[in-house]
Amino acid sequence: MNEDLLAQEKGKTVEDIRREADSKSCAVQKALYFISEFVSGPMCGKCFPCALGTGEAKLRLLKISQHLEGVSEKDIEVLKRIGQRMLEASFCKKGKDTGKFLVDLITNSEEEFKEHVQGKCRYKECISLIEYVINPDLCIMCDKCREVCKYNAIIGEKGLPYKRGYLPYEIVQKRCTKCGECLKVCPTGAIELVTHIIEEVVNK
Amino acid sequence: MDKVVKITIDGKEVEVPAGLNLIDAAETVGIHIPNLCYLKGMKGIGACRLCLVEIEGLKAPVIACNTKVKEGMIVHTKTEKVQEIRKFVIDLILSMHPLDCMTCTKAGVCNLQRYAYEFELKESSFMRKKFGYPTDEANPFIKRDPEYCILCGRCVRICKEQGTSVLDFMGRGIESRVITANDNPLQESGCTFCGSCLDVCPVNALLEADRWRKGREWEYEKFDSVCLLCGNSCSVVVSTKDDRVQKINSGGTPGSVEKYICAYGRFWFDSIDGESRVLRPMKRENGRLIETTWDDALKVVAERLKKAGKDTGFLVAGNILNEDAIALKRFATDVVKTKNIGSSVSLYSDTDILLRSQKVDIDKADLIILVGLNPSQWERVLPALDAMVRRKVNRNARLIVISEKETKIGEVASVNIVGNEISIIKRIVKALIREGLKVSKKVEEEVKDVEITEAIEKAAKMIKDSNELVVLSSPALFDAASNIALMKGNIVAVPIEGNAKGVVLMGIDSQGRSYKDLALNGAKVIYAIGNIPLKTRPDTDFLVVQNSHLTELAKEADVVLPSTTFFEEAGTIVDYMGRVRYLSMVIQPCGESKSHRDIFINLAKIMGTNLKKITESDVKKAMNVKSKLIEGRFIKDEEHDVNLAEFIESENSTIINNSRLLWLKEAIGLHV
Repeated sequence: MNEDLLAQEKGKTVEDIRREADSKSCAVQKALYFISEFVSGPMCGKCFPCALGTGEAKLRLLKISQHLEGVSEKDIEVLKRIGQRMLEASFCKKGKDTGKFLVDLITNSEEEFKEHVQGKCRYKECISLIEYVINPDLCIMCDKCREVCKYNAIIGEKGLPYKRGYLPYEIVQKRCTKCGECLKVCPTGAIELVTHIIEEVVNK
Repeated sequence: MDKVVKITIDGKEVEVPAGLNLIDAAETVGIHIPNLCYLKGMKGIGACRLCLVEIEGLKAPVIACNTKVKEGMIVHTKTEKVQEIRKFVIDLILSMHPLDCMTCTKAGVCNLQRYAYEFELKESSFMRKKFGYPTDEANPFIKRDPEYCILCGRCVRICKEQGTSVLDFMGRGIESRVITANDNPLQESGCTFCGSCLDVCPVNALLEADRWRKGREWEYEKFDSVCLLCGNSCSVVVSTKDDRVQKINSGGTPGSVEKYICAYGRFWFDSIDGESRVLRPMKRENGRLIETTWDDALKVVAERLKKAGKDTGFLVAGNILNEDAIALKRFATDVVKTKNIGSSVSLYSDTDILLRSQKVDIDKADLIILVGLNPSQWERVLPALDAMVRRKVNRNARLIVISEKETKIGEVASVNIVGNEISIIKRIVKALIREGLKVSKKVEEEVKDVEITEAIEKAAKMIKDSNELVVLSSPALFDAASNIALMKGNIVAVPIEGNAKGVVLMGIDSQGRSYKDLALNGAKVIYAIGNIPLKTRPDTDFLVVQNSHLTELAKEADVVLPSTTFFEEAGTIVDYMGRVRYLSMVIQPCGESKSHRDIFINLAKIMGTNLKKITESDVKKAMNVKSKLIEGRFIKDEEHDVNLAEFIESENSTIINNSRLLWLKEAIGLHV
């Protein structure tokens, strides 16, 4: 009873979080949002499978969504295990629901999770897995994107009717923070997001 | 708890006591259900989820710590499902716990290590988490290292239950940790340094501050003994290595409310071989105390005693062992031929009252009445009694406090009555008479005119409704308070010294001159035994002090005879609840010190009498005193009303000054 009241005051319930998470398309982002919001919101953190399991799950989800070193399909297995154990062993409904959410999500979107491990986010929501590129066929060299870029990540030269041989527009990936400002100002939609499976480099 | 129920655990049909939870029940038949947060005696909280077991007929696993056994229950403690959950939890904990068992002091007794071994976890399969929390080692008693903490919450709960409430959780999930208020170091957070948290920590997060490289659990020899530093006589378990005490833990029945020791009891042992320990006999020559041989010292003492004869006065502390008390009694009456044995017990209690004090089982009590007692862990006055009562209250016993002034313990009482104690007791007795208590005309007459208030009414009702009433009274109010216990329950007088009751039972009963008289007016020879609360030399020609430490009094003695501490000789005591308790010989006597009884036997021999060795049957015979609860007079024995805090500190001053307890005294004071 008291806990319910407390949750109300704090605002979010597990249901709210689920609804909010559903507004995301990417399964990994959904899971990450759910777990993060759960940990900082309705989780009481008293029993171990939930308190410690969510901590680990969050770390693993960050690893997958940011494509950190060592990411592999084992991370997906671990997430599934955490979900299952939380479902079985958590004391309260909140923990069980969170566990069930994880299990269901991973079961239904296993393919998508695996793509993430390989470096691809099909809904282009995991910013570490996408690149901003300029399609030269659409670019009219208006320079608006270069002006708005706070990180000087865009190079190129404004096109002038009397000048030829100018520098084409390009995004320097190293500097790009994927903030999305350039997308907003491009009049022709020449800036595109791409994501693709990273070929594994195998040292021979 | 005589009833048993039949249950089936892991295919074995067994009989276990009814009313137990599954963890305790399984333990009785030798099956261990893993757990980290469970604390015997307290309600299970089911946080660690390790104790999940499956019961036939139930869909989901249940926590064993909070499930009572039922007739016919079929329990499986090791199904694949629960084993996987346990492994999962241990795996997760391991991911945030240092893997340095090879140098960890707790290796061998660490529950995490045990379960990691059981579940074949060499290391965690999860991502390693490190937090870099600072260690609190700003005091010489308790080292807190949050890096090792597994968040089981045992320390938090035990600290709360006993009423100190120093520790609590901050944050949630993996980021939570156990802190003090404002994250202050322990000495700035109201900690009494009792170390209860040390006894319950399953890992290396809470450790005695000096334990590093002082040996690990399997290297220790362990002894059950009793602490005799105050009237609580707490059970202790002493760990020794190389004939030195390395640590002291609380002993006694697991889960009992009495399982507690205070900072004195846990950390006094530095003083056993402290600077002021007397290692060899000493005698005064040209105004200075110099070391001498036993033969020489005893010869000098024997000569003086012979000359003084019945003009000798013995002053004895109330915390010597029964055997020593018997030896003293025999030595005084048969050899020295004097009746002047004054014990410090007589300072705070009538001997007769200690004999009438009854036996109680506090763990069964559902109502406790404190009469004229102001125990306090913070004031260091009978701290174990304070902790015990608070724990009882937290385990749903009711408490009535009757005292002259406001007390801290009164804050947790169901009924707290402040005022003239005698008048309060009279009112309660009158209310009890209304509730059906039968008393003599005389008592009825005495309480005739008192008024009954609402609080009194409430208290009387509680007494009537209780099943197991225990009255704990100061000796000065025992007479009056025993009228309450006439209706039901039992009453106990709480003395200040560890073996007060035993010493009286063994026959030290001031038939001759009293302690006060001897201390004030002196005698031809004064022979002081043990830590008596006397700091200046009485008026005497010759002062013998027989003690383990060079106390203020000993410094003024003519002969100092080194005696053993209560860890250096086996024996028995009778505690305030009337139980005979055994003390082991934990270590060999320091230097040339001897037990009190051996010194008396040797002295007697020199004086030409053979005192027999004291045997167990001697003690048993002396114990054989039958006492009955009788109607008491409604008076407060003002003569025996003493300041407990001063008394306890005075008796233990050498021990405090010779151990790390001195830090406590100087850094935060002994009466916080």
